[in-house]
Amino acid sequence: MFRKHLIALLIIPLLAACGSAQTTSPTVIPTQPATNTQPPATSNPAITLTDGLKRTVTLSGPAQRVVSLAPANTETLFAIGAGAQVVGRDETSDYPATALSLPTIGGYSGYNLEGIVALHPDLVLAGGINTPELVASLEQLGLTVYFLQNPTTLEEMYINLETVAKLTGHESETAALVDSLKNRVAAVDAKIKAVSNTPTIYYEIDATNPTKPYTAGPGTFVDLLIDRAGGKNIGAELSSQYPQISLEQLVVINPDIIILGDSAYGETPAKVSARPGWGTLAAVQTGQIYPFDDNLVSRPGPRLVDGLEALAKLLHPDVFK
Amino acid sequence: MKIRPYLYTLIFLVVAVVLSIAIGSVVIPPLDLGRILIGWLDRAAFPEPLKTFAFILTGIRLPRTALVLLTGAALGGSGAAYQGLFRNPLADPYLIGVASGAGLGAVLAMSINWPYSFWGLLAVPVAAFIGALLTVFLVYTLARVGKVVPTTNLILAGVAFGSFATAVTTYLMLRSTGELHRAIAWLNGGSSQAGWEPVLAMLPFLAIGLGILMLSGHALNLLQFGDDQAQQMGLPVTQARTLILVAASMATAAAVSFSGIIGFIGLIVPHVIRLWFGADYRRLLPLSIISGAGALLLADVIARSVISPQELPVGIVTALVGAPFFLWVLRRAKNQGYW
Repeated sequence: MFRKHLIALLIIPLLAACGSAQTTSPTVIPTQPATNTQPPATSNPAITLTDGLKRTVTLSGPAQRVVSLAPANTETLFAIGAGAQVVGRDETSDYPATALSLPTIGGYSGYNLEGIVALHPDLVLAGGINTPELVASLEQLGLTVYFLQNPTTLEEMYINLETVAKLTGHESETAALVDSLKNRVAAVDAKIKAVSNTPTIYYEIDATNPTKPYTAGPGTFVDLLIDRAGGKNIGAELSSQYPQISLEQLVVINPDIIILGDSAYGETPAKVSARPGWGTLAAVQTGQIYPFDDNLVSRPGPRLVDGLEALAKLLHPDVFK
Repeated sequence: MKIRPYLYTLIFLVVAVVLSIAIGSVVIPPLDLGRILIGWLDRAAFPEPLKTFAFILTGIRLPRTALVLLTGAALGGSGAAYQGLFRNPLADPYLIGVASGAGLGAVLAMSINWPYSFWGLLAVPVAAFIGALLTVFLVYTLARVGKVVPTTNLILAGVAFGSFATAVTTYLMLRSTGELHRAIAWLNGGSSQAGWEPVLAMLPFLAIGLGILMLSGHALNLLQFGDDQAQQMGLPVTQARTLILVAASMATAAAVSFSGIIGFIGLIVPHVIRLWFGADYRRLLPLSIISGAGALLLADVIARSVISPQELPVGIVTALVGAPFFLWVLRRAKNQGYW
C-alpha cells in the first residue's frame, strides 16, 4: 500500500509542474511574417482543416512560405504546382531536383527548430514520419503546423494531394493531376486484367544479413502496388509491415522474381547471385533479379503511381511493350 | 572548505552556458546578442532580424540550455553517488536499470495511440519516469536478502533486469508498425519537446534528488570504509544507502524522461573530478553536479553545430569526445591507484 502511495507522490509533482506550466507558460512572441508572405490580393477566405492528429488548423489564406518536413510532402507540393511556395525542406527531400537548392532544416537525426523559425514559414507541413512531440514544439513556437497523415491507399493519397492543394491554393491544377493519376492507374488496371499469370515476388528492403533479409509485409504500399501490378508479394503472408524472412522460408517459397528495393545501397543482381545459399532460388538461376527505385514505393506521395507503372512493366513486360 | 575547485568548475559552467546561448544553427552575431540582452524589456519594438533572434533565444535556445543543464547536473551528481554507493568505478546512473526501465515505459506508452493533447503528449515522459522508478524498485527488492541489500546482488539484478527490459523494448519496437521512428528518436534523446514545460516538470525532482545528494557527502565518505565499519561509526547504513539510491534514481529518472538516454556523462565526470580534486564526497558531489551540467552543455553545443543544420544525438558526442578526454586525464594522473 505504502509503495503505491509513494509512486503517486512522486508522480503528482511531475504532473502538477506540467499543469502549472501550461497556464503560466512564458509569453510567446509571434513570429513576424516576412514581407512577402501576404496572400495574393484576391480575397481569400480563411482555410480551416482538421489534420492527421485531429488538430484544427486555420490559415488566413493559401500558405505562401511552406517548410516541408517529409520527402513525400515535398514531392506532393512540387507535383501540385506549389513548389515555388516551398522555402525549406528536410534533408531527405531529394526529389524533384529543384528542391535540392532549398535550405534544409535537419531530418531524421534531429530537426533544427531555430532554422525552421528563421525561415518564417506560414505553414509547416509535417508528415507521418514526424513525431507529435515535434508538432507540439513547433506549435508552441507559434508556427502553423499541418500533420499530413500517411495514406494507406491510393485513394487516400489523392485526398492528401487535395488537402495540400487547399492549404496552398492549387485546387484546380490538383484536380487535373488527380484525374491524370487515376487514368494512369486505370490504364495499368486494364492491362493487368488481361494477364493470366501472377508471378510471386520477393521485395528486398535490406539484406545486410542475407540469411534473414527484411522484406515488405501487409499494410505497405509495396504490398499494395505489387498486388495491383499483377504480382503476389510473398511478404503479404507475414505479420508485420517490415518483417524479416529467413532464407529457409525464401527457398521453400521460391519466388519467381526478386526485386531489389535496396539497390540504392549497392545491392546488385550479381551480388545476390553470389550470396551463399541463394543459388538454389529459381529467380537467381533464371536471372529474374531487378534493381528498383525504392523511393517510388516507400514515399507515400504522387510518385506511387510511377511506382505502380514501373512494377507492372517489370512483372508483365509483354503487355507493357 | 577549499574554494578553488568550486571556482574552476563554476567558471567552466558559466563558459558552457554562454557558449550554449551564443552558438546555434542560426548565427546570431555577438553584437546583436548584446543588443537583445540590453534592450530586453522593450523587445516587442525590435526591428527584424533582432525580433526573430530574440524569439529564437527565448523560445528555443534558453529552454534547451536549461534542460541540458539540469540533465547534465542530474547525471553528474547521480553518477558520483552511484560510484560511491556501489564502491565501483564502473557504476553510472543507469547501472541498476533506470535507462532500460525508462525506455520500456516510453515505448509502451508509444504503442498506445494517445490523442494529440497536452496530456497525450505527457504520457510518454510520465510512463518513462514510472518505468524507471519501478525498475529500480524491482531490482532493489529482487536483490534484497533479509534486511541487507548486498551491492553485488544489486548490480547483478540490475544488469539482468536491464537486459530483460531492453529485450522487451526491442521486441515491441520490431512489432510496432508506425511508432518505430518515434521510439528511435526518443531512445537517442532527440524527441523531447521544446519550451519550458519539460524544464519545469523536471525541476522539483531534481531539486529534491540533488538536494539530498548534496547532503550525503559525509555518509558516502563513511560508506567507503565498508558497511560494517560505517555502521560502527554511527551511520544507519541501510537507511542511508536506500535514501541515496532513491535520490539519485529519482533525479536520473526525471532527466531521462525528458532528455532521453545520454551515456558517459554520469560515468566520466565524477572520475575526472576525483582525479583532479580528490575523492572527498562532500566536495565530489557538488563538483560533479556543476561539472556534469557544464560537460553536457558543451557536448550539446558540439552536437548541434558540427554538422549544422543537422543535429547529432548528444549521446554520440558525449562518448566520442568524452572517452578520449577521459583516457587523456587518466594517463596524466600521477596517482595511478586513485580509486
